[in-house]
Amino acid sequence: MACAPNRARLLCMLSLTFGFFIVEVVVSRVTSSLAMLSDSFHMLSDVIALIVALVAVRFAEKTQSTHKNTFGWIRAEVMGALVNAVFLTALCFTIILEAIERFTEPKEIEQPLVVITVGVLGLLVNLLGLCLFHGHAGGGGHGHSHGERKNGKVRRCETLEDGRSAAEETNNLVGDNNSPNSVNHDKKKADKSEMCPSDSLDLQINSSDPYEELDNGQDSASQLNMRGVFLHVLGDALGSVIVVINATIFTFVWKPCPPGITCENPCVDQLCAGPILNSSSAASNTPLHVAGPCWVLYLDPTLCIIMVFILLYTTYPLLKESALILLQTVPKQIDMHQLKARLQDLEGVLAVHELHIWLLAGSRIIATAHIKCQDPTSYMDVAKRIKDFFHNEGIHATTIQPEFVSMNSESRISLCELSCRTQCAPKLCCGSADAAKPPDGAAEPKKPCEAITPTVTSTTSAASLEIISESVEETSRPESVRGVESSL
Amino acid sequence: MLPLSIKDDEYKPAKFSLFVKISGWFRSILADKTSRNLFFFLCLNLSFAFVELLFGIWTNSLGLISDSFHMFFDCTALLAGLAASVISRWRSNDSFSYGYVRAEVLAGFVNGLFLIFTAFFIFSEGVERALEPPDVNHERLLPVSIAGLLVNLVGIFVFQHGGHGHSHGDEGHGHSHSLFNGSVGHGHSHGGHGHSHGSKHGHDDHGHSHEGHGHSHEGHGHSHDDPHCHDDHSLTPGTGSSKQILQGVFLHIVADTLGSVGVIISAILMQKYDLMIADPICSMLIALLIGVSVVPLLRESIGILMQRTPSSLDHTLPECYQRVQQLQGVYNLQEPHFWTLCTDVHIGTLKLLVAPDADSRWILSQTHNIFTQVGVRQLYVQIDVAAM
Repeated sequence: MACAPNRARLLCMLSLTFGFFIVEVVVSRVTSSLAMLSDSFHMLSDVIALIVALVAVRFAEKTQSTHKNTFGWIRAEVMGALVNAVFLTALCFTIILEAIERFTEPKEIEQPLVVITVGVLGLLVNLLGLCLFHGHAGGGGHGHSHGERKNGKVRRCETLEDGRSAAEETNNLVGDNNSPNSVNHDKKKADKSEMCPSDSLDLQINSSDPYEELDNGQDSASQLNMRGVFLHVLGDALGSVIVVINATIFTFVWKPCPPGITCENPCVDQLCAGPILNSSSAASNTPLHVAGPCWVLYLDPTLCIIMVFILLYTTYPLLKESALILLQTVPKQIDMHQLKARLQDLEGVLAVHELHIWLLAGSRIIATAHIKCQDPTSYMDVAKRIKDFFHNEGIHATTIQPEFVSMNSESRISLCELSCRTQCAPKLCCGSADAAKPPDGAAEPKKPCEAITPTVTSTTSAASLEIISESVEETSRPESVRGVESSL
Repeated sequence: MLPLSIKDDEYKPAKFSLFVKISGWFRSILADKTSRNLFFFLCLNLSFAFVELLFGIWTNSLGLISDSFHMFFDCTALLAGLAASVISRWRSNDSFSYGYVRAEVLAGFVNGLFLIFTAFFIFSEGVERALEPPDVNHERLLPVSIAGLLVNLVGIFVFQHGGHGHSHGDEGHGHSHSLFNGSVGHGHSHGGHGHSHGSKHGHDDHGHSHEGHGHSHEGHGHSHDDPHCHDDHSLTPGTGSSKQILQGVFLHIVADTLGSVGVIISAILMQKYDLMIADPICSMLIALLIGVSVVPLLRESIGILMQRTPSSLDHTLPECYQRVQQLQGVYNLQEPHFWTLCTDVHIGTLKLLVAPDADSRWILSQTHNIFTQVGVRQLYVQIDVAAM
């Protein structure tokens, strides 16, 4: 499968991490160390993050459109990235809380040697994970330079061709128009079947060439997902580093209270750790041990807080990016103003309304618009031009709704073209004849619309069903349609 | 002509003033009932959390400190909901052609995620405590948790209406249809409904006060339709639009209430019957309950964010497709995509293959009719003329 590299990495890392989690739980039970147990829960959260990413990748492979999910499951990758980013943020929050608790109540580390060993092992696992995912997230893992782009494309094509008919379906899904009479599109279809899909049609599910067509540096969907996993593993690696540093310093610097000898522990005196032998020490002659330098106990929380800041700083871009995609924002590389202006400059386009451009996932941009043009006969040429225009911009899934200027109206009266046939009709000038609805605000501009006043007929199922028949087509069609409409 | 005065304050561009911005936000918050409720409850929660924290530090009780942290965590959920309810009312602009209305769905989703995380955290703490029971000081915990319970009950009472969402029932829905149809049209109208649409007063007065509508016949080149998912909440907060936010917040408050109840129960059990195991077991049960209760919210917001076909239209859409295909001149209906922008706002695109001699205009208008009846506000129909 084309997505194998991703899944293989995730599965490998998942099994490693889960195994390590089990090891930590066992060790914590054997040494009855609470710190180890809580660290094992951190590992568990890592496992969960990997599972989320894996699920997202699995889902995103199912790119066929189903009845319920007409766009396929492509967006799952973006959602996976968001879930991971939110999870990381929540984890950081928890770590801060724990660190503050440690500040108020410093604890010694029991059995630091065991902690060091386990910490080093965890660090190794995490470093392995970093290597696995860094190539992905950074984009340089496969050593592709731009010169090799073609090669990469062809190679990926082959993997695509032999495996994934789903890719073809999604090419259709992406909405390359099926108008069989336009030459350009036939050519494009032919292109697709023999060569690689053109730039943005590529779904980047196997993002082996992440910078292939994303010249503007926009990450594809699976990139986003892998970035989330990478950040999670990075956080864990930092945690392991901190654990190791802390335990090492603790072993060498800290002078613990040897058992059996009276000793004073000035650092842990808040919650009544033991009777402070102040008076007795002055009185007696027994050598008084004082437990080691207190700052060692505060090292752990400090390092944790530093780590949290690093994590938050690196997670924030991922969070922002996936949130923006889910908010249906216009993709960064597209300048709406300019695009609209250029669209309006196209020959045959009289006006553009309701232009919406948004990113589905990865590099699949979807655009919808209403284009006003002169009449139906010229429409097909205009449509072709518009489609080409959008293809040049990198937007391949477009839905253009034509609106035609009424034949007997001037430009400014073209208000009641297509739009609000039913409910808003009485509120506009054109629907003035309808008495069924109270014409709020329809009072003012009645006059200019007299010229095109279509007859508004309301059927027996009045409130929700009105058909405005244009003066052009006052044939028997409206009646038959009305009959059809009201019977349904 | 020389100006009469040299005071040129009015000619200076508006200075960026933080105070102005913040007061703008406050005004926006207080304008809407939902965000007002959220804001006041957030203040209440925050103050209670601070009180608990100070009390815990003063009496050196770790349990109280950690409980106050838990309340702070809840405050972030409230803050997210508040931010979303304010953000989703911003106007659309060049970067956000649909406006910011999706923010509420995102906030609901993030709240759900936080809740799952909280449940996981509580469960893990319960496991830790079961394995190694710490020394819990009950006398101080009980009155504080009772106070916390009261605060949360206030919250439940305030947000209860919103939490369940469908308080308006069908008539509201029917109305919102007719209302939306009205402005749907304006979606496709070109003379430009300079539709800077105030809130759709769908629910308070059924007389349809459409400020936007009547006088929008200037010939604007483009109209940014502001899909306001968001009705005026004078009657029923949380119907439709902010449903996601309020549901998330409500679940969070319920989770907190359950936590307080659990603490109280376990404290009583431990005091009366000396059952030390009660605390962890209660925590684990509560964690499970929270997890289960958050599933519907998550499912819904995931569905919306994944651009899934609106579940309310699942049955009606195939019928509509059939009707469209029966129109004269239509050969085929291809690639229908319907998705939810935010609660109750559905957007659809489809492509029709028509005969060369078909009347495109008529087909377009009929198609729009058909879909407006089921509540799809914005529809984009592409007409592809079949070759001869």
